[in-house]
Amino acid sequence: MSRARLLLSVLLLSVFTLAPLRGQEAQTPSAPEVIELFEKKIRPLLHAHCIKCHGPEKPKSGLRVDSRRALLKGGDSGPALVPGSPEKSLLLKAVRQTDADLVMPPPKSGPKLPEAALRDLETWIKAGAPFPENSEAPPAKHWAFEPLTDPAIANGVTGSAVDVFLQAKIGAVVAPPADKRTLIRRATYDLTGLPPSPEEVEAFLVDPSPDAFSGLVERLLASPAYGEKWGRKWLDVVRYADTAGENSDYPVANAWRYRNYVIDAFNRDKPYDQFIREQIAGDLLAEGVSPERYAELIVATGYLAIARRFGHDTDKDMHLTHEDVIDTLGKSVLGLTLGCARCHNHKYDPVTARDYYALYGILSSTRFPFPGCEAKQAPRDFVPLVPADQVEAELKPWRDEMAKLDGQLKRLETEFAAARKGLGSPATVVSLGTGELKPAGEQSFHAGQGDDPRSWVTVGAGEMIQFTLLPRANHGADSTLLELEVVEQGGKGRTWNLTNDVLPDFFEGGAGARHSDGFGNKGVWLLYDLVPGPTLFTVFARDADKTPGLQVWRGSAPVPGAFINVRDEVIRFATVTLPARSLALHPGPGGPMAVAWQSPIDGAVIVKGRVAKADPGGDGVAWTLERRPGIGNDLGAQKPALEAITALKRQQEEWTRKKPRVDVAYGVIEGKAADARLQNRGEPEQPGDPVPRRNLEFLGGQGLSDPGKSGRLDLARWLTDPRNPLTARVMVNRLWQGHFGRGIVATPSDFGTRGAEPTHPGLLDHLAGRFVAGGWSVKAMHRLIMQSAAYQRASTAGPVAALNTTGAQSDRGAIDAPYAKFSRRRLDAEEIRDALLAAGQELDRSPGAGHPFPPESQWKFTQHNPFKAVYETRRRSVYLMTQRIQRHPFLALFDGPDTNASTARRETSTVPTQALYFLNDPFFHARAESLAKALLALPEAERVAAAHRTCFQRPPTDSEREGARRFMEACRAALGVAPDKTELAAWSAYVRTLLGSNEFIYLD
Amino acid sequence: MSDCTCPRRSFIRSLAAGSTLLPGLVAGLLADDARTGDDPLAPRQPHFPAKAKRVIFVYLSGGVSHVDTFDPKPRLFADHGKEIKADHPEIKNRPGYERIFLKRPQWTFEPRGRCGTEVSTLFPHVAGCADEIALIRSMHTSHSNHFNATLGIHTGSFTVARPSLGAWVSYGLGTENRNLPSYMVLAPATPYAGMQVWASDFLPAEHQGTWVVPGTEPIANIRRRASTSRLQDLERAALRERNAAHLAERAGDPLLAARLRSFETAAGMQLEAPDAFDLSKESDDTLALYGLKRGQTTGFAWQCLVARRLCERGVRFIELIDTGSSGNWDSHGDMMDHARLAKNVDHPTAGLLRDLKRRGMLDDTLVVWTTEFGRTPFNSSADHKGREHHNWAFSSWLAGAGVKPGIVHGETDEYGLRVVKDGVHAHDFHATILHLMGFDHTKLTFRHSGRDYRLTDVQGNVVNALLA
Repeated sequence: MSRARLLLSVLLLSVFTLAPLRGQEAQTPSAPEVIELFEKKIRPLLHAHCIKCHGPEKPKSGLRVDSRRALLKGGDSGPALVPGSPEKSLLLKAVRQTDADLVMPPPKSGPKLPEAALRDLETWIKAGAPFPENSEAPPAKHWAFEPLTDPAIANGVTGSAVDVFLQAKIGAVVAPPADKRTLIRRATYDLTGLPPSPEEVEAFLVDPSPDAFSGLVERLLASPAYGEKWGRKWLDVVRYADTAGENSDYPVANAWRYRNYVIDAFNRDKPYDQFIREQIAGDLLAEGVSPERYAELIVATGYLAIARRFGHDTDKDMHLTHEDVIDTLGKSVLGLTLGCARCHNHKYDPVTARDYYALYGILSSTRFPFPGCEAKQAPRDFVPLVPADQVEAELKPWRDEMAKLDGQLKRLETEFAAARKGLGSPATVVSLGTGELKPAGEQSFHAGQGDDPRSWVTVGAGEMIQFTLLPRANHGADSTLLELEVVEQGGKGRTWNLTNDVLPDFFEGGAGARHSDGFGNKGVWLLYDLVPGPTLFTVFARDADKTPGLQVWRGSAPVPGAFINVRDEVIRFATVTLPARSLALHPGPGGPMAVAWQSPIDGAVIVKGRVAKADPGGDGVAWTLERRPGIGNDLGAQKPALEAITALKRQQEEWTRKKPRVDVAYGVIEGKAADARLQNRGEPEQPGDPVPRRNLEFLGGQGLSDPGKSGRLDLARWLTDPRNPLTARVMVNRLWQGHFGRGIVATPSDFGTRGAEPTHPGLLDHLAGRFVAGGWSVKAMHRLIMQSAAYQRASTAGPVAALNTTGAQSDRGAIDAPYAKFSRRRLDAEEIRDALLAAGQELDRSPGAGHPFPPESQWKFTQHNPFKAVYETRRRSVYLMTQRIQRHPFLALFDGPDTNASTARRETSTVPTQALYFLNDPFFHARAESLAKALLALPEAERVAAAHRTCFQRPPTDSEREGARRFMEACRAALGVAPDKTELAAWSAYVRTLLGSNEFIYLD
Repeated sequence: MSDCTCPRRSFIRSLAAGSTLLPGLVAGLLADDARTGDDPLAPRQPHFPAKAKRVIFVYLSGGVSHVDTFDPKPRLFADHGKEIKADHPEIKNRPGYERIFLKRPQWTFEPRGRCGTEVSTLFPHVAGCADEIALIRSMHTSHSNHFNATLGIHTGSFTVARPSLGAWVSYGLGTENRNLPSYMVLAPATPYAGMQVWASDFLPAEHQGTWVVPGTEPIANIRRRASTSRLQDLERAALRERNAAHLAERAGDPLLAARLRSFETAAGMQLEAPDAFDLSKESDDTLALYGLKRGQTTGFAWQCLVARRLCERGVRFIELIDTGSSGNWDSHGDMMDHARLAKNVDHPTAGLLRDLKRRGMLDDTLVVWTTEFGRTPFNSSADHKGREHHNWAFSSWLAGAGVKPGIVHGETDEYGLRVVKDGVHAHDFHATILHLMGFDHTKLTFRHSGRDYRLTDVQGNVVNALLA
C-alpha cells in the first residue's frame, strides 16, 4: 500500500471512529466487536482498494462502496451485498476472484487481497454487514452559530450591566475595590502597556471627583500608546512578522507599514467591521478617495500579504500560503479552525471541504506580493501606494531618459565591438600547450627545456605569450589558480613571474589591467576578456566580496575576472579557496579569458606554470598556451572607448538612483479570477472539481456579485454582516480577555463545537450586541468593561494573615470565584522591555518605521545562510524587528507571540532562564544603571523614594527604607570596583533588586 | 544530586527561620518539589515501564550519504557509470539531469563486531561499536529539501512548526534536575529551519530546548555579571526578601511563588551548568576516549563528553547537532567532504558509546543517531564528485536502553535507491523512540486549537524488531 493510501485509510479510520455512530434504520443491531472489525479492517480495505473506482466520482459499473445503502443497491450486476449471506454477496465473490468475469481489484490496479482480508470480509457479511455512516452533518445546534440574542437585564439593578451578568456566579464574597494607586497602574498598563509616571499617579490620587477614573480611561484611550498596546494584540492574532518565513526567511522591508496601519486603526477607533473589510479588500475600496486614504487602504491588505511563505521557491508553494491565510482568517475573524476542512469536511464544525475551496478560490484569484526567496532573490509585486496611472505619470520622464542612455550605450558598445573584432586575428599563432582540468584537478605545464636550445620559444619584442582559460559546457565553479613564469634563455637570464610581479600592487594605475614587470618595463602583463574580442579588464576592487586581502580585476560584469589573495593566509569565499599570496582566474559564462606576457625582449624563453582548480565543483576548465603577435598597444588604445562606456554606465547608475521613489506596500491586488479545484486530501496534485467561490454554507453560502472579480470584497462584506453571529462575539471576547486575562470563551480563536463554552453567554451576547449597535467601536467596549466593578476590584483580599483568621478556608474559596477579584497577571514580553526602558528614562516614544535591513541588492540569503538579525532600538517593543525562522531572543524568552501561527493568548511561563536574564543580562544591567544615574542626580535622601515611585508607583515603606540603607552599606563593601565608581555601582545593584522583583513585573 | 537541590531548600528554610511568612505557606513552598499540578517539569511516569530514562539524540545536519557509510552496495561499485532512470524529486526538470548515472562509493565496507554488521571505512570507531547498535538501513522521509526534512525528523511536521521530539519527551517525563533545563541542545550553529527544530511550539515553554553553544558562555546569561559573587548574593537576598514580602501580602499566589523559586533555580543553574561544562576533572583516559584535547571547549568531542555529563545530572533529552545549516554533510560538490566530517564525529561518537557502556549508563540511556535524508547513489555523470539529496532511503541507528543490539533492520535495493524491506519512515522512527521511553505515541497528546495533537500526527508504527 502506498503511503498516501495508508494515510488516507488511517485518516478515514480516525474520522469514522470519532464520529458519532448512527446506524441505519434497516440495520440490525450489531455487536461492538463487529463494528470494530468493520472500522479497523473493512472500511480501510474498501477505501484502500475499492473507492478509487467505486466512490462518489463516476462510479464504475454504477457501483459505489461508500455506504451500506449503496452496496445493497449495487451496480449494473445487481446488489453487491446480501447481509448475512457471504455466498450471495457479489462483493465477496469479486474479491475472491473465483469467477474469471468478476475479478476485483482488477489485475491492472493491484494484486488479489490477502486471505486474511477475505476472511474478515466474510465474517463481517455473515454478521449482518453493519456499516455505521460517516456523519456528514455536524451537531445541529451550537451556541456560537446561533444569532445574537438580546439578553434581558434584571430590573431594579443599579451599576454596570456587566456586573449584573457576572454577579450570578460570583456569590456574596468579593474582593474590595482596588485602591487608586493599584487602579491607575492597572489601567495604564492595560490600555497602553506602559507604567504611569509618578506625576500621573499623583494627579490621579489628588483628583477627588467621582469621574476621576473615567477621566483617566479617556486620557489613556487618547494616548498614541493605546494603539501600540492593542494593535499588538491584533498583530498577535494575525501572526505578524517582518520576514517571509520560507527556508531562507527573506526580510520584508515594507511589512512595517501594515503594522503601523493596525496601530493607527486602534488609535483612531476605526469601526471594527470597517477594519476587517479594509484588511481583506482595501484595494477594492480605494476608488475615488484622497491620496492618504488610498495609501492607507492599500497598506491594510497587508493582513493577507503577511501570510507565511513556504519552501525553496515560494511561487511553487503558494497553495500552502493560501492555506495559511484561510487558517488565520478563520481563527482571527470567525474564531473557527477552518484549516481542518482542507483535507476533509470539518469533523466537528459545519465547514465542508467545498466551503474551504470556495474561499481558497477567492485567495488564488488574488495576487500576493513576492518577498524574494533563495531561488529568486528579487522581491516583486509589491503594491504602489498611489494609483497605477499616477505611478506611470511619475515614472515616464525618468524612463524616457533611461531609454536614451540605453540607446547611447548600445551604440558605443557596438562600435567598440566592431573595432576589436580584428584584434589578435588572423594571426600567426603558435601553440605551446593545451590541457583540461577535472573539477578538482591540477596540472603543471612548460614550454621549452632549459638544456635543449631547440625547444626554446623565440620571442620578438612586443610578441605575446598568452595563457587562455576556457569554461567547459557548464559555467560555474570555474575559478582556477594560475602560476606562470617566463625565463629568459641566454641574454640576461631574467625571470618574469606573474604572481611575484603583480602581487605587491595589483592595481598599478588607472589604465586597466596592465602591469609592469620587475625590471621597469611597462605593460608586460595583461589581463583581458576574450568575449566577443579582447577587452582589457577595467574595473578594480580591493577587499572584494567584503573579504580583506581579496583584490579583483574585471570588466563591467562580476565575471570574468582575475583575483588575487595578497595575504599570508588562506582566503575562503563562496566555494573558492585561495592559498596565501596566489592568483586565480575566473572566465565568464560566454567563453575564454586570458593573461598575457608581452615580451620586452628579442630573444628566447622557456615558459613554466601550474594550473589548479580553486573551486572543487563544476565540470572543470580547459586552457591553452600560445605565442601570438602582441596586442598590448591595441588593448591600451581601447582606453578612450572603454572610458566612454564606463562613464555612460556610471551615468546610468546615477540615473537609476534618481528613479522617482514610489513607496510600496506589502499588500495584495486582484489576480486572475478563477474558481479553485477541490484538492483531494489537501494535495494539489490530486485536483477534483472546481468549486464556485462563495460564502461559507453555514453563513449563508451566497455566491459572488461579480465572478470576474476575486470575490474579496464580497468576502469582506459577508464576514462583517451584522447577521454573522461570530465576528462580533469573537472580537468582544478578545477585548474582554485583554482586560481580564481570560475570555468569556476561554478559546478565543475557537468558537466551534470543540472550543470552550462561554462562561457567561448572556454577557457575551450583551457585549456583542452593544458592539454592533455602537458602530463597532472598540474604545466604547473598553469604557464599558473598565467601568464595571469587576474590573476595578482588588486582586487579593489582603495579606495571608487576614485569611488565616476565622473562616479562612471558606473565604478563600469564595474569593477564588471568577471575577470576584481581579486576576493578577505578569506583564507581557513587550511590557517588561518597555517598562525597563521607561524606568531607565530611555524609552523613545516616537513611532517606528522600517528596519535597517541590508540593501535589497545585496540579498543572497539561502537556506544554508538564512537571513538572521536582531536590531536593537530604544523604541517601544512593538517596533522590534521580528523574524519567523528565528525568534527575537527577548520576545522568545518571555512568551512573546508566535510569528508563524495565530496567537490567541499569550502564555506565561516561569523558567529559570528568565531569572538568569534578571540576574545577568547586559540589557537589564544597562537599564538599571541608567535609572541609577538618574537617582544619583537627586539628593541622597530622595533617591529610595524616587526609585519606588518609578518602579512601583508608590512610596517606600519604612522597612523598605531601612532595607535599602542596609543593602547599600553591605553593597559598598562587596562591590570590588574602583572608589570613583562605587556609588553608581551600588545604586545600580540596588535598582536591580527593584527591577527584578515580582512587584515590578506583576500587575495587581 | 544533593548539591543540586540544596540552594532552593536551604533558602526556603532560611525564610522559615527568620521571616514573617506563615509556616503553612513555607511548607507549601517546600512541598513544591513533590507537587505535580502546576509544575510542568515535575517528574512523571510514562504510560508503561521503560528502560530508557533519557535520550541523547545525535543529529548530523545536511544529509549523510547512506551508500558511503552504513549501507553497503556491492552492485553500486560494480555498475559504476551505468545509466538508470528514476522519477526522483531532485532531478525533476533540472537542467543537466536529463540523464543520470550510478556513482560508486569512495569507501569500502567490511563486517565488524561479533554481529558482523558492515560499515564503511568512514566510521572506523563507530564500526567498532557495531555490537551495541541497531542499524536501520530502511529509513525514508517525506521531503528532499533540507528545511522540510530537518523539521520533519525533529518534529514530525514537514511544513509548519510543531513541538520537537525533545519537547514531547520533556512534556511526557518532566525532569529529574530542576537546576538544569530538561531539554538541552548542544549546537555550534542553528540548523536548517532554525530554532524551530527544538521549539516547544504549543507545548508549555518549559519544554523547549535550551541552546548550548560550545564556547565560553554556553547558555545565555549563565555567567555572573555582578562584579563579585558576594555582591550577587546580596542582590539575590534583597530580591528574595522583597519578593517574599510581596508574596505574603498576596495570599501565596502560586505564580508569584514560582517566580520567586525560579531565581533559586537560576542560581543553582549558574552553579551547576558551568560545572557540567567544566571538563577539567575528567581523566586523561576519558578525554582520550573521546579524542578530546585538554582545555578544548568546542568541537563535536566536547559536545559528546558534555552530553554524558548532562546525562549524569538528570537532563532528560540532550541533542547534539553536528555543524549547522552550512559547512555540513551536504556534499553536492565533493563526497570527499564526508571524510573530513566523519573524522570529526566518528571518534567522539564511539567514545560516547563506550563511556556510557563502561559506566553502566547505556542501560538506561537511549542513543539515537540520524540525519535528515540520505544522498543519491547517482549523479548527472558518474565522475561527478558529489551526491544529491535523497529522501527515498537513508540510514540511522539506535543504541542503548531497550534497543536490540547488534542487528540490522530493513533493506534498500541493490543500489541503495529505494527501500525494499521493512521501511521506517520518520514517523515510525519517532513512534519507536517514544515507545522506548515508555510512551504509546498515539496517547502522548496535547490539546491545542481544538484538537489533540501528537508527535506522529495520524501516522507512525512502532518498529518492534528494534526492541530488545
